[in-house]
Amino acid sequence: MKKRLYLELENCIGCRSCLAACTQCGGHEERNRNYVYDVNPLVNRQTMPLMCLHCVNPACARSCPAQAIQIHETGAVLSALVEKCIGCQNCTIACPYGIPKFDTEQNLMYKCDLCIDRSKDGIPPMCASVCPSNTLQWLTDEEIEAKQKQFNLDNGKWVTSMPYLEGETNVRVNLPGILQGVTKLF
Amino acid sequence: MQTNLSTNPKQGRSVNDAFASHFAKSMFLSILALGILTFIGTRMFTHIDLNLYGYMIGTIVFIGGFFYRFIAWGERPPTKIIIKKGLKQLFRKSTPKTAAEHLVTYKFIWHRGIYRWLQHFLIGGGCILSCFVTFPLVFGWMYFTMDDNGYYTVVGLGMNLMKVSADGIIAFFFYNALNITAVMVITGVCMALYRRLKNMQARAEQKFMYDFLPLYMLLFISVTGLLLTFMNVVLHGWGQPVMSLIHQFSVIVTLIYLPFGKLAHIPFRPMSVFARNYREHYSEEAEKECKVCGSHFVSVEQSQDVIDVLGLNNMEFFKKEGFHLAELCLPCRRKYRIAQFSGIATHEIKVKEANQNAKG
Repeated sequence: MKKRLYLELENCIGCRSCLAACTQCGGHEERNRNYVYDVNPLVNRQTMPLMCLHCVNPACARSCPAQAIQIHETGAVLSALVEKCIGCQNCTIACPYGIPKFDTEQNLMYKCDLCIDRSKDGIPPMCASVCPSNTLQWLTDEEIEAKQKQFNLDNGKWVTSMPYLEGETNVRVNLPGILQGVTKLF
Repeated sequence: MQTNLSTNPKQGRSVNDAFASHFAKSMFLSILALGILTFIGTRMFTHIDLNLYGYMIGTIVFIGGFFYRFIAWGERPPTKIIIKKGLKQLFRKSTPKTAAEHLVTYKFIWHRGIYRWLQHFLIGGGCILSCFVTFPLVFGWMYFTMDDNGYYTVVGLGMNLMKVSADGIIAFFFYNALNITAVMVITGVCMALYRRLKNMQARAEQKFMYDFLPLYMLLFISVTGLLLTFMNVVLHGWGQPVMSLIHQFSVIVTLIYLPFGKLAHIPFRPMSVFARNYREHYSEEAEKECKVCGSHFVSVEQSQDVIDVLGLNNMEFFKKEGFHLAELCLPCRRKYRIAQFSGIATHEIKVKEANQNAKG
């Protein structure tokens, strides 16, 4: 059963558990690869997480001269292969979401790999495992569809991912109803 | 036919730009260079060690595979840019230092872990030293003659380089160079295998074909090579002819495999020096200002190159605000995305991104 990461952005309470959990994933060497942003920091406390959305046609891999960024059969866009990455940082410039990080000392790019050691066996990635507010969830396509029905929004406002992203992604992002001025029905 | 030609989208590209032309040209020049060097080195083909002819053929097949892989790889737009612009910056003042750090001392691997550095240093150093010994011997660029009894003359590229005592310490290192490198490689490979068996992350990601096969092949080469010495010294040559064929087989198979698996990073690694030079040179020329916050984050040249490469891949991230996403610094690009979700222009708010490292 193929599951995907599903973000329900408005649920985020800014606890940064996902960042902490990311550091604990095997191979991440205690450095997190995701972000949490204040949406309107001088006005309110709304936060939103941002992580690699695992594009179907990833700009980072397209711009890599060394073919170091590989795509796993599950669709996850992997962190650069350590022996291939030549440290040009094209990927950090190409990514439309600004996700890849770069370690100048190790001359190596690193990015979210959807905790591939876990997710390839159907175990949710660290961030989704710990999220206390259900902002990050690990769901099948059917479950995501069921969510749409549950929200019961007949006004076309329930959207996942497009057109608010640059292309098709494997991660599904749900738009925050509250900030769009739409009441979300739990 | 005429109209067909005029609508050909690749018009203007001559046959000289074709993959086959690049391949043929590179092969021709390499084999010509090998031939000339061998002609000089062997004093007009009078000192060829025919015992090693299998390695010679193996090397030529390897060169074919190498160019096939490398030229196909160089056709990718981003690769082409780095190779072209990297070559132009080859003679920067910092090149020797960068090259030494990237290709000899592997300083960047040290930062990834001392255990991994040691294993890589042993495997890499052993392999590269072995190549420096083996290939000159195979092509006759280096051989030994004995004019005076008890003294070897080392002949390099047809010139008498030095005279060494046959029992001396230098000669000892000449005889045993490959034994020493074999021990280095075996130690390194064992360290790598141990890591792959114990490290949980490595165990999650490794594949037999990609990660284990090259290690086993290096082990195969080193062990059969050491066995040759063992058979000569201890068994007085028993089984040596058969073992030398097995060893030759192991080396040739590895050479043919080399450009297509994990070991391909050996010939490709000099690209990292190109990349460093490319970044340093163009950063000195002009730094790109983020279109939102104005901070410098990359060179103008690289930003433009990435935009071009993405364009070739039909990815146009031009936004209605009048910038391409590759012209935004990373925090601004992330905030811009948050802004798309929320409708609030987060990237315009002059507040530094808060606590992105989960340190409380």
